[in-house]
Amino acid sequence: MTTELDPLIHMPTRLKIVATLAALPDGDALSFTRLQDMLGLTPGNLIIQLRKLEAAGYLASTKTRNGSAQRTTVALTSQGRAALSAYTQALRDLLGGLDRDGRPAEAGRDHVTFRAGTADVPGVQDGDGVAAADAGVQPAARQ
Amino acid sequence: MDHIPGTVGTTTADNGGDFDPRQAADLLDQVTRRARRQFTPLSPLLLTFRAVIVLVIFGGVWLSVRGEHPYTGHIGGRAITVAVVLVAVNIGGTAWVIERAGAGVSGPAQRKWQAWKGFMVAAWIIGYAITAPLYHAAPGHPVWGLYPASAPLLIIGLAGAAVAAAFRYWPLAGTCLAIAVAAAAAGFGGPAGSWLITGTGLCAVYLGLAAFTAGRQHRSMVRP
Repeated sequence: MTTELDPLIHMPTRLKIVATLAALPDGDALSFTRLQDMLGLTPGNLIIQLRKLEAAGYLASTKTRNGSAQRTTVALTSQGRAALSAYTQALRDLLGGLDRDGRPAEAGRDHVTFRAGTADVPGVQDGDGVAAADAGVQPAARQ
Repeated sequence: MDHIPGTVGTTTADNGGDFDPRQAADLLDQVTRRARRQFTPLSPLLLTFRAVIVLVIFGGVWLSVRGEHPYTGHIGGRAITVAVVLVAVNIGGTAWVIERAGAGVSGPAQRKWQAWKGFMVAAWIIGYAITAPLYHAAPGHPVWGLYPASAPLLIIGLAGAAVAAAFRYWPLAGTCLAIAVAAAAAGFGGPAGSWLITGTGLCAVYLGLAAFTAGRQHRSMVRP
């Protein structure tokens, strides 16, 4: 079985953005400033990642002007929700094939590839399954 | 780990090359749980506090009127002061949590929630406003004991359950229905016992909703 991790989402900052927006009900949008506050990012950093996600059709941004103030809101599109769902399923499939120490379970010798083929996750490559993946395990990223 | 690469699309970090899938799963769960907590207008902590409040207020009234034969419904001024303060803290806390959850959020679900909020505020006001003319009409003490402990919550619970079901807020519909059931059961407790039944019933309902909300917030996206 091949598990594909969407390279556009498989990056800490973009994963945070997509996961945060996915926690909103379908169709609801979040203001740029609140998203920035929640993620603790600088405006420049956030804009770079939002543009990438928007270019892929994963999120939509809307600008509204109220007098001199401009308000930007961003929302996950249905395509973005589907992408996160597929990404989550890929993680589930992949981690289901690991034992508690991160070694491949007997029944689940998966390997991971990126859909766009930009890079393989280190230690999770063809042939070896996920055997070497535990070498670089770090605690969960925190803000 | 968490920096944004300066050169878009060319670094290892940007394409996720040094991002372990298990780290990704942990991060996804961590961010999702925090976002759920921040976006939800139902705080498990506030619901637990509300459970304690109703137990203290309704239980306090029951303690002050139990054993009264005939029932006089006399409640001490200190108990009323404590009840008013607790209710005020609850209203303030609820308003703060709702304001925080909805800050910067817009869209159809948010508008639906605003409508739900408006309806529930109206239901609470109407439900308890009826006690004013009842007091003015000077009914007998047993009625005065039964009505405030049971009737407003029966009205609010049933109306809230109907609207929540129409909005497809199923956990809230269940909660409102449970409140109505507790209020209806309280009617059989007599003018003194009704306060105890309503208090314990509401306490159980709020604790149940708090546990349900906490469980839903903590549920993992990846792991079973």
